[in-house]
Amino acid sequence: MARSELPYLSRFGRILRDLLRYELGGPLVALIALIIASSALSPRFLEAYNQRILLLQTAPLALLGLGESMIILMGSIDLSPGSTMALAGTISAIAFTRLSYPLHVSILVGVLVGLAVGLVNGLLVTKAKIPSFVATLASLVAGRGMVLTLTEGQPIVGLSQYSVFTGEVAGLPVMVWLFALFGVLNYFLLKRTSVGMLTYAIGGNEEAVRYSGVRVDIVKLLNFSLAGGYYAIAGLMMNARLEVAYPWSGWGYELDAIASCVLGGIMLSGGIGSPLGPVVGSYMLTLLTNVLILLGVNPYFQWVVKGVVLVIAAVALTRGVRYVK
Amino acid sequence: MASEVLVTRGLVKEFPGVVALKGVDFDLRHSEIHALVGQNGAGKSTFVKILAGVYSPTRGKIYVRGSKVSIRSVLDAKRLGITLVHQEATLVPNLSIAENIALGILGKEGGLLKRLGSRELLDTARKYLEVVGLDIDPRTKVESLGIGERQLVQVARALAEDAEIICLDEPTSPLTAVESRRLFEVMKELKTRGKSMVFVTHRVEEVFTVADRVTVLRDGVRVFSSEVSKTDPSEVVRYMLGREPEHFYPAKVSVGAVGGGKPRLRLVGLTVLAEGKGMALKNVTLEVYPGEVLGVVGLLGSGKTELGKALVGMYRVAGGEIYLDGVKVSIKSPVDALRLGIFYIPEDRRREGLVGNMSIAENVILPKVRELSALGLVRVPEREISTARKWIEHLRVVPPKPSFKVMYLSGGNQQKVVIAKALESNAKVLVLDEPTFGVDVGAKIEIRKLVRNLAESGYSIILLTSDVDEAVALSDRVAVLVNGEIVGVYRTSEVSREFLVELLGGSGYGS
Repeated sequence: MARSELPYLSRFGRILRDLLRYELGGPLVALIALIIASSALSPRFLEAYNQRILLLQTAPLALLGLGESMIILMGSIDLSPGSTMALAGTISAIAFTRLSYPLHVSILVGVLVGLAVGLVNGLLVTKAKIPSFVATLASLVAGRGMVLTLTEGQPIVGLSQYSVFTGEVAGLPVMVWLFALFGVLNYFLLKRTSVGMLTYAIGGNEEAVRYSGVRVDIVKLLNFSLAGGYYAIAGLMMNARLEVAYPWSGWGYELDAIASCVLGGIMLSGGIGSPLGPVVGSYMLTLLTNVLILLGVNPYFQWVVKGVVLVIAAVALTRGVRYVK
Repeated sequence: MASEVLVTRGLVKEFPGVVALKGVDFDLRHSEIHALVGQNGAGKSTFVKILAGVYSPTRGKIYVRGSKVSIRSVLDAKRLGITLVHQEATLVPNLSIAENIALGILGKEGGLLKRLGSRELLDTARKYLEVVGLDIDPRTKVESLGIGERQLVQVARALAEDAEIICLDEPTSPLTAVESRRLFEVMKELKTRGKSMVFVTHRVEEVFTVADRVTVLRDGVRVFSSEVSKTDPSEVVRYMLGREPEHFYPAKVSVGAVGGGKPRLRLVGLTVLAEGKGMALKNVTLEVYPGEVLGVVGLLGSGKTELGKALVGMYRVAGGEIYLDGVKVSIKSPVDALRLGIFYIPEDRRREGLVGNMSIAENVILPKVRELSALGLVRVPEREISTARKWIEHLRVVPPKPSFKVMYLSGGNQQKVVIAKALESNAKVLVLDEPTFGVDVGAKIEIRKLVRNLAESGYSIILLTSDVDEAVALSDRVAVLVNGEIVGVYRTSEVSREFLVELLGGSGYGS
């Protein structure tokens, strides 16, 4: 029902209200509030050095979130980001070290692995007709198992050449540029292409889209595959930052990816939210950890804080919204 | 003499984009059956759902046994002794009858402490099943019951909840004539036990079979109330319709080469299986010509929706053939149907026809978005908007704004958007399933005119409807579907509505 409007809105209030109407408005307001609060709490927060670290930490998570957003906007869910990024990173590292492939080929191998995992997820959902939660849960488990089998549980070292990702261009690391580039790409794909529109439509009402004679399954396959590709790039970024491929890299990141979407204002019910949401969401999530470290909060307790923040975001989001499919 | 157990004054209910009730005054006396009638979309269901706490009223007052109350939830309503027997059975199919009856009691205070499956609950269930005349073991699972039995179980549940005021929302719509009569007997029996009932229906003859008083709603307004003994069916119908019925239907100019020429679509011996329900259509043979409206009349459960969905591959065709322009075709999905030019316009347009949170423009171009995009990929907003504008003007969608979200449109305008989508997709055969269902009177007339105009401009139209009058008024020929079988196909110029009603089973048609 119509929300009761305050009779006398201050100018600030009016700006706030207009901003909140925009689908990315809520997350942006929360982000600004968090930045102001953080800089007040810790003077070191806004220092260039700290911001740089923050952005470097955000980049892989942002890619996971952006991939996840395509799936969530379709009304599905993807639990495989963490395992997919690890598998892509590991196989790329194996190609580079054990098989001595050139760096660019190894990177390509990694991306192809991500696309392949995504394609398998998509086929499980569309052809085997398994709910996405279960299909991608299987990928989460099996993917990790493949990583551990391939590495025998040992990290793969000698990846210093992956530093192409951490190298600087125009004052910022390549990774940060990539993160910005994929944000723009995601926006373009979802808001400016036919496939993007169908993605939103499927999330809004899949039955109606089917009855319209649209090839729903192909849109799903495309999105799942593409999301896998995004996760792979996140995996390569991790190789670059650590110069090591850890078999447990990305463990539990599927939840951070979903949290980035939720914090970024994307509804788990599908069809609603901005493609740029995960960019804002993943930054907020990383910022929280960062500030809690700066403040010297017990690292174990940080999980509790994240959980509470997620609940707050979800409550703010789900006002008057349908259930999760 | 009359003691009112329930009174409403100026009840208003607004939904986004529609006002469903515009200030309804209503009263229900002790141990009476008060029928509430009206066309689809008149606000009957909304009204009883407010009484039962499913919806909250936007404005207005409700008095129960003389004191003003506010009903904010179903539990509030139950505490006041009001319960609703829903249109679609709200029973849990995988639980037993006794457990379902227990669910109703559990909601009340202290209910959760009662032991499920105890002798006491079984006895309670048995007692109320007896009242409604059901001789079934209460441990039977609900899924094995027929629709009529389920409806009676719902009534039994209402009684077990100790309800004084029972609202029945179109309880007879899924029932056969025999089942309906049985329900009426139960209702009369309950009346002698001091229960008061609000009986929602759109079948006028039922009012005169069972009710004491009748109130007519039209477009959310109470237009008529009377003792049943002081009125007659034609007066009630007149108030329901609001206008002379003939104004409801456009003049019919047949252009189709019915009988002569070549059929556009021909079904030969079509047999369709519905999941879990067995055979939905048996050996259906039909043809529809260019420029023709073929009406297919059938009651709920006759297989008409299954016919529509089978034509776009959403139900599996188990036997028989489909020919389009003389060529045998195989339709496995709406994608195939769209390629062949067949479009199904669903009855449940909110669930199957529209993406609610998207704009009019996006809904209209949905099947064509790739064609309208540069290289099939990059969207061109101007093209989408101008395409949508063309249809908005042509079909007079209100408000005429391509960016308006369809969830806020009225039922009639939503239907126009779905039709626009079908037309934009270049379909030649339109399958319309209850196109005027849930649409207000004005839009009904417009949509009916549109259906005729489309036929006259060469489309082949299959009109699936349960409304005999609509079928007779709009169709060139009418096929009667009973239990999945075609029992006859007639030219509408040579058949009367009474004859068709008789074929359908002789009951259930008031307006």
